[in-house]
Amino acid sequence: MIGAGGSPFMYLEFGDIVIYFSPYTLSLFLLALVFTVLVIASRPERQLDIAFGADAYTTKDIGLPEMRFRRFMAIACGLASMGAMVTGDVFDFCLFTSLVGICNVGIVAAVRSRHVQNAAFQYGLVALAGTVPLFGGAAIVAATTGTLSLIELSSTALPAVPAVVKGFLVLGVMGEGMAPFYAAKAEMFRAPGAPYVIMCSLSSLLIFLRVIEVVLQV
Amino acid sequence: MIPYLLFATFFGLLLLGIHRKLIARIQRRPGPPIWQEILHTLKFSFKSTWIPATASEVLFVSVVLIAIGIWTAAFFVLVTGGSLLIIFAIYMLHKIVEHGFGLSSGSPYGKFGGVRSVISAASEIPLFVSVSAVAIFTGSLQISDIIAYQAETGPLLFTIPLAAIALYLVILSKVPASPFAIVESKEIVSGYKTEHFGVWRAGLETCNGLKSYVLLLTFITVFIGALPFLGILLTMLLLVVSLAFVCALCPMLSPFDSVTIQTIITGIMLIYVLYLGVFG
Repeated sequence: MIGAGGSPFMYLEFGDIVIYFSPYTLSLFLLALVFTVLVIASRPERQLDIAFGADAYTTKDIGLPEMRFRRFMAIACGLASMGAMVTGDVFDFCLFTSLVGICNVGIVAAVRSRHVQNAAFQYGLVALAGTVPLFGGAAIVAATTGTLSLIELSSTALPAVPAVVKGFLVLGVMGEGMAPFYAAKAEMFRAPGAPYVIMCSLSSLLIFLRVIEVVLQV
Repeated sequence: MIPYLLFATFFGLLLLGIHRKLIARIQRRPGPPIWQEILHTLKFSFKSTWIPATASEVLFVSVVLIAIGIWTAAFFVLVTGGSLLIIFAIYMLHKIVEHGFGLSSGSPYGKFGGVRSVISAASEIPLFVSVSAVAIFTGSLQISDIIAYQAETGPLLFTIPLAAIALYLVILSKVPASPFAIVESKEIVSGYKTEHFGVWRAGLETCNGLKSYVLLLTFITVFIGALPFLGILLTMLLLVVSLAFVCALCPMLSPFDSVTIQTIITGIMLIYVLYLGVFG
């Protein structure tokens, strides 16, 4: 389906790599940008925990080295998300998506809790496995059509891409974008650091949203 | 366009007030006046406002602005006949905003609201199924094309009723007191919005009014087609009445049950779309 997210109105060419902005990709790009700026500008909250059995509560503080690392990972994740939102190339999309997965592992793994780190390890395995169908899908696209450009792929002149490619791409993105569920499983939200946790969820959601457009176009 | 945006916000708040009043009357309670949500918004606008000491200040304030911003964008996309995919994206991103509201304050109640928001992602998949069914039939995701298609062939409501039910369930999951409203259920006070008060809550109420209007207008535009302005408002009212009956008569589900039921609905809808794709 050509122009599922509206007609592209701006192209940026870097050799044979083309970035394009349609109303859809621009909206997603801007959201990734806004939240990346928020990650840079925000300090983590101090979470309140009620002490059961007593009339008291405690606050959790996040250490500076941990905060720096998670912020770095969150910013990298934001940049990778921005790239995945506007790229006009299937391979680059896969590359940015796997980078989002790696950064999400980093955001989760930095929390100093055994449960959270176990979850990060499991999530890392899923993300690693997710790259196989993701890049496999891109390879089949290149093999059947001779191009990886989404703009060229949306034209009807090229041979049809096998339907299994769409499944592979979605499966790959599901593997890379599972972080929020793993974070919930590990009760990572009990650790302070709202801006970073939100970037984890946002980036996963954004790659899910972009792959819908990619799948409709290939 | 700006007067229409303001109208949409206040009419959306009025619809929420009607929804609340109807639930109360069905349950044989007097209920608040129908303009209560508008009064809430105005009241919060002039109440004292500060940021909790434990909050992530920038995020705490920014999510309010982002919430209003994304729904304003959705409104403009809808009115100008843009891509349905953008509205779908904005609806899903609202989850991140709820998440941000909940986590940014440091409050345990807000935090649980935010976590529930993430785990209830199953409620978004019926929307995708609904969008897919529309794309299969109309061959386009541009709202202007969908309206033109319905002008020729009749409302999609009768062609793909299950897709319409999917979108209806998505709207149901977002209205207050819904069986699926686990993000703001009473055992966690007000869920993700517990700590946002004063002007921040006024901003959130504004967003809720606009969100209600946009979601109802999306349903009408996508499944009924172009209607005269008064017809749109009356259809919205009818939808709100039906939603109020569901909310008043169904118990609020536990998070586990809510996610399970939404997942089952999603499974049924996926089979339906596969059926449409193969035989439609």
